[in-house]
Amino acid sequence: MNPGFILSKLARGGLTLLLTVSFVFIVLRASGDPAQIMLSDEASPAAIATFRERWGLDRSYLEQYLTYLTAVLQGDFGTSFRDGRPALDVVMERVPVTLLLGFTALLITLVLGIPSGIIAALFRGSWVDRLTMSFTILGHSIPNFFLGIILILVFSMTLRWLPSSGTGSFWHLLMPALTLGTVAAATIARFTRSSMLDVLHQPFMRTAKAKGIAHDKRILRHALPNAAIPVVTVLGMRIGGLIGGAVTIETVFAWPGLGMLLVNSVNQRDLAVVQAVVLLIAFTMVVVNLMVDLAYGWLDPRIEVHNRRVAKA
Amino acid sequence: MTSTDLSAMALPARRFGWLTRLWKSRPSLVIGLSLAWLALVVAMALFAEFLAPYGYADQSLLKRLQPPAALGGLPEYLLGTDNLGRDVLSRVIYAMRTSILIALMGTLIGACVGTVLGIVAAHFRGWVDDFIMMLVDFQAAIPFLIVALAVLAFFGNNFVLLVVLIGLFGWDGYARIARGLVLSTNGQGYAFAIRTLGVHPAKVYIRHVLPNMMGVIMVQVTLNFPEIILLETSLSFLGLGVQPPGTSLGLLLGEGRNYLATAWWIGIPAGVVIFLTTLAISLVGDWLRDRLDPNLKGKPA
Repeated sequence: MNPGFILSKLARGGLTLLLTVSFVFIVLRASGDPAQIMLSDEASPAAIATFRERWGLDRSYLEQYLTYLTAVLQGDFGTSFRDGRPALDVVMERVPVTLLLGFTALLITLVLGIPSGIIAALFRGSWVDRLTMSFTILGHSIPNFFLGIILILVFSMTLRWLPSSGTGSFWHLLMPALTLGTVAAATIARFTRSSMLDVLHQPFMRTAKAKGIAHDKRILRHALPNAAIPVVTVLGMRIGGLIGGAVTIETVFAWPGLGMLLVNSVNQRDLAVVQAVVLLIAFTMVVVNLMVDLAYGWLDPRIEVHNRRVAKA
Repeated sequence: MTSTDLSAMALPARRFGWLTRLWKSRPSLVIGLSLAWLALVVAMALFAEFLAPYGYADQSLLKRLQPPAALGGLPEYLLGTDNLGRDVLSRVIYAMRTSILIALMGTLIGACVGTVLGIVAAHFRGWVDDFIMMLVDFQAAIPFLIVALAVLAFFGNNFVLLVVLIGLFGWDGYARIARGLVLSTNGQGYAFAIRTLGVHPAKVYIRHVLPNMMGVIMVQVTLNFPEIILLETSLSFLGLGVQPPGTSLGLLLGEGRNYLATAWWIGIPAGVVIFLTTLAISLVGDWLRDRLDPNLKGKPA
């Protein structure tokens, strides 16, 4: 792979991060006196003075911005006023719980979405296709929190098979992961199907057939790798959807991850924690997009540096 | 399947021709039902005062937690009552008004901001274009729900901020489309001809380019609108969107969540309304897209 390609992608990722940090800085300064906002109302004048000193609030905006940037680069996001610990620590201890949910949901998305999309495309117009397409339209329209509530109503309240909230066992993980995973699987199945259909109608597929290559081999060696390219991009964008979805789903199932922490912190206006979560999620998204770009360049050597402006999923 | 010709599969099966025809008539029925549902929702939103049997805040504490009429509740409360004895049906009707109103205003803001920025990017090219497209990429990279939560946390919650925030969701889609269309139009003969006649560029865009864009923009609206409804209901569901005593479909579902075990009818109807509405708009949108732009047919949303 061409190093210029990787470098330009790295630069773009860095730029997105810088934009996010600047955005948080601007919002923080625009919303009033940060010392009043970041500290609780009961903060002593001494604490406020220390805070002002530390963030250089009496100096120019440019200096404040640079102070803020340096602090963020060093992993210093301020202190959670709820329990007085560094915001980063409060956030990091929630990460494993969210990753467990996120990766299980991603697995469900892949296992459910990709095969059903491929099968729907191969048997276009059949009942399998119609079933898959109906499923994708339903999955695209149902709000994930409503699906979660329906699942709780059926499997926890009525049948009493699964716990409705909390964490601790595989059974606790099942419903939140299924809710998140199936909604994302609907999008992936739809994209896989249309990408597969596009490829199946390409002239090179006809050529492969004319050359006498067996059907299964044509699908496996010629169609699937080409159809995978747009699907990988969409999958990368769905990660953002999964993170956004995790915020509501974790609240529905009382799953003590990052999403629930964010909602609680917003409610209690624990802003140090809010900004730490936002910046962490932005960082994750930048890394994911970078990985998608690299995977993309690897899957399709034709890709030039500026060609990846695909419509948002 | 191994030796079947794939292109032959697309042809209708002749032996069951009537079945094929029946199948082909089905989408129009679905679209008809979707349009009817959307008309009902709009009517509910417009005439909530006349259609709702009670006010959305009217309490009758003696008749709390009544099940829906069909399930043995009181006949005057069709969908039952909530924990404060408020009529669930009336609350759903008023909530439709709030949610639809916010979604409409949000869509309008997003479509205008996005289209204008897209046109500006395509007109000036150069660093303006680069800067706007950088913002577009940024918007697409960060989950908007997170950004919205952060802004609400810092500024506190109020209705105007909520509407503006929801309006800023999805502008990037419009910007991308408008930019692409202007770039391709500027390359066409008629735009060049008008410009050579000395017409001001702004006039060219308003009189000639924008009307040509409307079809594609409308399609984007049908893609964006359900997502906007989902954003508002998600925020309200989390207790961070529309605040009580106001109502929103998401807020109703969030309130009902605490009564799932004892009174599921408080929240579920609102959820069903959200689901049916986004479903209907998606279906109508697909149908519109096929009609307005045959090039997009079969392409992913």
